[in-house]
Amino acid sequence: MTAHPISPARVLRYGIAALACLVFFVPLLVTLNTSFKVPSELTDILSLPQTPTLENYRIAIREVGPSVINSLLITIPSVALSVLIGSMAAYPLSMMDPKKSRWIYFLLLSGMFVPFQIVQIPAFFVIRTLGLYDTIYGLWLVHVAYGVPICTFFMRNYFASVPRSMYEAAQVDGCGPAAYFFKILMPASITGIAALSIVQSRSVWNDLLFAMTLTSSDAAMPVTAKLNGFVGAIQVQHGPLMASAVLTVLPMLVAFLMFQKAFVRGLLGGSSK
Amino acid sequence: MPMHARSTHKLQKTLVFAAFLALPIAFFLAAYVYAVGYTGFVSLHRWDGISPTMQFIGLGNYERLMGESRFWHAVANNLRWLVFYLVVPSVTGLLLALLVDGKLKGEGAIKTFIFLPYIIAPVAVAAVWRWLYLPDGGLFNTLLTDMGLPGATQNWLGDRDIATYSVMMAALWSTAGFSFLVFFSGLRSIPQELFEAARVDGANAWTIFWKITLPHLWPSTVLVLGLFGIEAMRLFDIVWSTTGGGPSRASEVLATQLYDVAFATFQMGKASAIGIVQLILAAILILPYIIYITRRIEEAPE
Repeated sequence: MTAHPISPARVLRYGIAALACLVFFVPLLVTLNTSFKVPSELTDILSLPQTPTLENYRIAIREVGPSVINSLLITIPSVALSVLIGSMAAYPLSMMDPKKSRWIYFLLLSGMFVPFQIVQIPAFFVIRTLGLYDTIYGLWLVHVAYGVPICTFFMRNYFASVPRSMYEAAQVDGCGPAAYFFKILMPASITGIAALSIVQSRSVWNDLLFAMTLTSSDAAMPVTAKLNGFVGAIQVQHGPLMASAVLTVLPMLVAFLMFQKAFVRGLLGGSSK
Repeated sequence: MPMHARSTHKLQKTLVFAAFLALPIAFFLAAYVYAVGYTGFVSLHRWDGISPTMQFIGLGNYERLMGESRFWHAVANNLRWLVFYLVVPSVTGLLLALLVDGKLKGEGAIKTFIFLPYIIAPVAVAAVWRWLYLPDGGLFNTLLTDMGLPGATQNWLGDRDIATYSVMMAALWSTAGFSFLVFFSGLRSIPQELFEAARVDGANAWTIFWKITLPHLWPSTVLVLGLFGIEAMRLFDIVWSTTGGGPSRASEVLATQLYDVAFATFQMGKASAIGIVQLILAAILILPYIIYITRRIEEAPE
C-alpha cells in the first residue's frame, strides 16, 4: 500500500478508525468517570466529576477486595496446574504418528466444545461430596479438569513444532524420556507456555458459571460471582458498583497490557496456523 | 546400541509415556465421561437434589419439556443468538480488520482499543451496560434526548420485545475484538506479491477482495465461526448478569433456564434434561466442525 498520506480516502480511513476506537472506548470511559463521582452527580452521566472522590473505591475495596484475592488464589495455581498437566499429556501425543492420534484429537476437541452447563449439576454434587464446596480447592479441581482438553491440544501443537532431532540428541547423551520433558522440552517451550497461560488465565478469571455453582461465601467466592451479586441487587449504588467493576477487571487488564504479544499468540495458536 | 539396551529404553519410554498420560486421562474421564453420564442418569429421574432417593420416571422430564412454551422460547433464543454470533460480531471484526490493515499510524493503539473489551469479564460488561441502558439517566437515553429524539428512548432491558437485542449489543461490544484480531492476523499473513500481481493485471479493489483476500482468510473464518458458534450454544454469563433471563423470562436461553430450574426450583431431573438437550443441539452443530478441523490437522504438514 503506497497511498499518498493525505489522500481523501486515507483521511476518511483515519476518521472511521478514530470513531471505532471512540465507540469501543466510551463504555470504559463512562465507567471510569462514574467511579470517581459523588452520588449527587450521578444524574448526569456525561458530566465530569466536579468533586472527584475515592470514596467509591474505598467501598469497593471493602466489598470486593477479599474476592479479588480469592480470584488470584484460584486463577494462578489452577492455570499453572492445568498447563503442566496438559503439557504432560501433550508430550507423548506429540511423539505419536499423527494418523494414529486422530481419535485423540477428536476427543480433545469434543471436550473443548462441550457446553459446560451439561456438567454443572454433577460438578456441584461431586464437589460437595468431596467436601470441597465453597473452597478454593474445589475451584482448582474443576478448572484444572476442564482445562485439560484445551491445554493438551495447544501444547501438542506446540511440541509438534519442536524438532525431533532434539529428542534423539538428548537420548544419545543418556537423557531419559522423563528427564527430557522436564529439563529440555519444557524450558525450550517457554513462549508457548506463556501464551497458553495468559489465555487460560482470562477464561478462569472471567468464569461465572462454576463460581456461582460452587461457592457461597467470602471464604472462596471469586470476584465475578461477588460482582454478579451487586449487579443484581435491588438498590444499585452505581458509584461503588462501577468502582467494583474496575477492580474486577483491573488484574486481567494489567496482565493483558504486560503480555499483549503472548496473549495474541495464544489466541491464534494451534488453530489458525 | 546393544539389543537389550534398546529394548530397555523402549520399555522405559512406554512406561514414562503411560505415566504422563494417566492423570490427564483420569481427569478427562471424570470431568466429561462420568459427568455427562451422571447428567443423563439424573435426567431420567424426579429428584430435588436433597432427598437420598431418586424416582425413576423414564423420559418423563423430556416429555414435560417438549410441552412447555418456556423451553421452546429458550431454544428459539439460543438459535437467535447463533445467527447473531455467526453474522454480526464476525462481520464487524472483519470490517474493522480491513479498515485498520492499511498501515495507519497508531495501529498498535487502535488494535488495543478495539481488543480491550474482549478481556473484560462478562459480568463486568453486564455491570457497565446495565448502567448505560438505565431508562432514566443512562447513556443511550441521555444521548437520544440530547439529540432531540426523546421519542426514540427505550426501556432497553425492561421491554420484553427488545431485551435480547440489547444484550446482543453488549455482547457485540465485548466479542468483536476477538474476530477483529483473528482476521487482522489473517490479513497480515497473505503474501503481498499476490495483491501486487493482481493490481498489475488491472484487477479493481472489489475483485481483489473477493478473489484474493477472502479466500485467504478462510482459516481465520473457520476459527472465528467455530468459536462463536459454540459460544452461542453455551451462552450463560452475559445473559444471566445483564437480565437474569428477564423481563419475565423473555431473554432466557437454555443455560440460564437450566440454572434457574436446578438451583432456584430444585428440579434436578428436569434441569439435567435441559442440559442433555443442549448437548445434543451443540453436537449437531459442532460435530461437523470438529470432524473438519480434525481432518485439516491431519493433512497439515508436520
